[in-house]
Amino acid sequence: MRIAAGVLGAAALLLPVLSPDPSFLNIGVFTLMYVGLATAWNISGGYTGYVSLGHAGFFGLGAYTLGLMLGHLRVPGGYAPFLVVPVVGLVTAALALPVGWIALRTRAATFVIVTIAFMFMLQILATNLRPVTGGSQGLGFPVPQGWSPAFVDVPFYYAMLALALLALAISWALRRSQIGLGLLAIRDDEDRALAHGVPTWALKIGAFAVSAGLVGMIGGVYGYYVTYVYPQFVIDPLIGISMVLMAFLGGAGTIAGPVLGALLLEPAQLELAYFAGSARLYLVLYAAVFLAVMLLLPRGIIPSLAARIESWQAAARRA
Amino acid sequence: MRLTILRGAAVLTLGLIAATGCANGGGSAGPGRPILVGVSLSLDGDFSGDGKALQQGYQLWADDVNARGGLLGSKIRFKFVNDASSTQQVVTNYQNLITRDRVDLTFGPFSSLLTIPASEIAARYGYAFPEPAGGGPHVFDRGLKNVFFVQPAPVVNNLVSYTKWLLALPADQRPKTAAYATQDDPFTQPQVDRAKALLAAAGVQTVYSQVYPAETTDFTPLALSVAHSRADVVVLGCQLQDAIAFVQTFQQQRYSPRSLIETTGPDQGSQFSDKIGLANTEGIMVPAGWWPSVKTSANDQFVRAFLARYGGDAASISADAAEAFSVGQVVEQAVGKTQSLDNAKLIQALHSQTFQTIQGPMAFDSTGQPNGASFLVQWQHGQTVPVYPPGVAVVKAEYPKPNWQ
Amino acid sequence: MSGLVVGAAMLGVLTGGVYALMASGLTLIFGVMRIINVGHGALVVLGAYLSFALLRGLHIDPFLGLAVTMPAMFAIGLVLELLFIRPLRTDREALSVLVTYALALGIEGVLGYLFSSDFQQLRVWYQTASFAVGGFGVAYVYVFGFLLSIAVLAALGALLYATTFGASIRATMLNRSAAQLIGIDVERVSAITFGIGMATAAVGGVVFGITNAFNPGSHYDLISRLLTIIVLGGLGSLKGAIVAAVLMLVIEDVTAVVVSPTWAAFTFFALLVLILITRPQGLYGLRAREGT
Repeated sequence: MRIAAGVLGAAALLLPVLSPDPSFLNIGVFTLMYVGLATAWNISGGYTGYVSLGHAGFFGLGAYTLGLMLGHLRVPGGYAPFLVVPVVGLVTAALALPVGWIALRTRAATFVIVTIAFMFMLQILATNLRPVTGGSQGLGFPVPQGWSPAFVDVPFYYAMLALALLALAISWALRRSQIGLGLLAIRDDEDRALAHGVPTWALKIGAFAVSAGLVGMIGGVYGYYVTYVYPQFVIDPLIGISMVLMAFLGGAGTIAGPVLGALLLEPAQLELAYFAGSARLYLVLYAAVFLAVMLLLPRGIIPSLAARIESWQAAARRA
Repeated sequence: MRLTILRGAAVLTLGLIAATGCANGGGSAGPGRPILVGVSLSLDGDFSGDGKALQQGYQLWADDVNARGGLLGSKIRFKFVNDASSTQQVVTNYQNLITRDRVDLTFGPFSSLLTIPASEIAARYGYAFPEPAGGGPHVFDRGLKNVFFVQPAPVVNNLVSYTKWLLALPADQRPKTAAYATQDDPFTQPQVDRAKALLAAAGVQTVYSQVYPAETTDFTPLALSVAHSRADVVVLGCQLQDAIAFVQTFQQQRYSPRSLIETTGPDQGSQFSDKIGLANTEGIMVPAGWWPSVKTSANDQFVRAFLARYGGDAASISADAAEAFSVGQVVEQAVGKTQSLDNAKLIQALHSQTFQTIQGPMAFDSTGQPNGASFLVQWQHGQTVPVYPPGVAVVKAEYPKPNWQ
Repeated sequence: MSGLVVGAAMLGVLTGGVYALMASGLTLIFGVMRIINVGHGALVVLGAYLSFALLRGLHIDPFLGLAVTMPAMFAIGLVLELLFIRPLRTDREALSVLVTYALALGIEGVLGYLFSSDFQQLRVWYQTASFAVGGFGVAYVYVFGFLLSIAVLAALGALLYATTFGASIRATMLNRSAAQLIGIDVERVSAITFGIGMATAAVGGVVFGITNAFNPGSHYDLISRLLTIIVLGGLGSLKGAIVAAVLMLVIEDVTAVVVSPTWAAFTFFALLVLILITRPQGLYGLRAREGT
């Protein structure tokens, strides 16, 4: 486990050196973005079982927070904007608290819909609060000056990597702690967990805010990377659904599952659209692959394979 | 056991690295080698209708040039990729087109929303970025020197011809009241705001003015409000879908304004007329840089080639296709002048000359905005004809607009 | 202004009836099968395209064409349920969201392939023909759609409350495993419910396709509206879906004319959140708290 993680981590760290091709790094940036997003989502959605389809709202909130701070504080393009990103995380997490306070009163399907409703409300606010956000005209970010075309992607790549590693570290630390046990207990049976003295309310709100804060920081870096954001393109339901899909594909509630899901899905999606996108059956192909995985490995790749391998091993022992 | 899986993932990732790393194709053009032009189009998602029309226009231009022996002796080949109307994908696509496929030229995608991030990537690599459809004001205030908006007029001025025509009507016919509704969109809103200011300044009273979200799908309550205002003139900042919905609700409400102009929709040929019925198009206006019968450089060939290849009738050709074709024409002339595919030289040439296109002559200011004016086009007897300014008008504008059939 | 408000409210009630029908299929499917069918919007769009094909190819009126499209959609529903929903065993609620989302993408892709992404609309005489009520033109299509929706909803109610099969549907909704114990073939009930949901989508598709220009991507907006309606009404409650649908459309349409269309959706979402804070089970939800 550790060796594998080490190999993967080293590969990720060295990628810009091994393959400095910008088109490749660009895919790396978006892939790491989703590794971070799926892992961050998993901290709340995977561990507690509260499936939020509205995390794109926090993604956009983060992007707008960073964009507005850079604009008002007149931070020039370059390395400086990355230093503001942690503040974005705190702001997003703080704003996620009241959202969570309301949304987490509902459960299961109702919770899913409430998170979607919050996402659309944020999107509408971003559009309607024109004096603050620029409305539908969008919000621009400073553009780094003096970075060569071959180098531009590198800082963004490492920023996304750092955020993904941060999310993973938090996910890992939680999973091994008392808190993690509490979160999983909520997923298994919230009422019983409460009866056993687990502070379910504090735990699920805390996990929700941490998850939202991480997603917000990633959204900030994304906005800076793509240089311009619009309400409907950055608070995009598809971004919210993608991170959930990746977590489920790899195995929601596991540490490595969301990472695996993102590593498989995001490059595949970007490449598929690039190579096969002009073929009319691109969507059908995507849906077919996705359906096949969900039906054959319904619990996600890692748990399903683990269960299968365990049963083989058990069979082998019996033989 | 977990370890095995993770190792598998690592191998898979590295495999992917190897696979994509080797996928470099293209290479710059030389004698005999085709000139590769990269474009990202929205073939899925919000802008898929326009994406298709742009593709048709670009392809027709390439066919036309290739039939004439190519550009600098080389054939033109397009590489079209799909961005599914998403920022992330449009960034990835231009990045890939430039660094992986090493395209010689890049042309623009659909909409201001996708043009801004895409033009930043092109600027980073020093590529000229002529584009047919990104006209929102913010496209030009980013300080980029490589963007060229290939339409006759800056978007803000799109409705200026309309206001001039309206205000030039004899005093006893002049409208007294006007209603405005526009999508909250970087393309439509600036032009409607401009028109409203001009008309209001000339004494046309604003009786209704509303902005609605670009995501709106149910336009009925809005159209109801406009109909209720009983304004003489209705100015709508809309796309095809709402252009249709407003007309239908006006019919339901038996409200026929004396003049109706829609920023987009009536210029989409049969896509528009099929939905509201050909008879009901009579008198509807649209600002345009191009219409099927316009007498401009090579427009006849364009229309003939379009019909030969895609069928239908002249009225069914979308202006999107003509705008894309014009991008090709502009670049062809710039390349002809500089005798090279060097993007730096092209950018310089594009800034300094006037080009002949099927949308008429065109020149760009330092920010890449065109300096011409748009024309006013009206549906008359089942086709769109220019009615203003007098220099290009072929018939008199019909006013007031006849009642719905 | 007040006349305009009445007009908008009237429109809201009429379109609300049609949304009620579309949402009724969705809420029934949830009640019986405990799945959230995110593909329901795509199925409505599919229904619109089926009617469009009949109208363009054979000149069959969309409303009369329902005699063909409803059974066809019912059959498609049985197949989809068998292939994609039945295999889901564990964690149905969460997994169903993803599987039916994939189904929606697949349907969107196939429709895009067959019909291109151009906007289409069902053109019939009653689309723009209208009669005046208190100074407002009411298009016949809204009235036809509303009446048909009421008729189908009434038939659905009769099926649920006056037949033996309806009793097994209600039993399954109340308690799936208990229903199984008393000998109800829960899987058959599920399949037929899914088919019925599809048939209502066919009707919704006709009215949607006449009143809106649609393309294969139109389902995203539809499904987010339908989901909020059934949650507001209370998951699984037919009555709730009807009340919530009318409420939602009236609020949206009235806000659009009184305040501004830019705040119409916000108002509705805010109301939804407010109601759910005080009543997490929705307006007519049965259980005080949904199990996870």
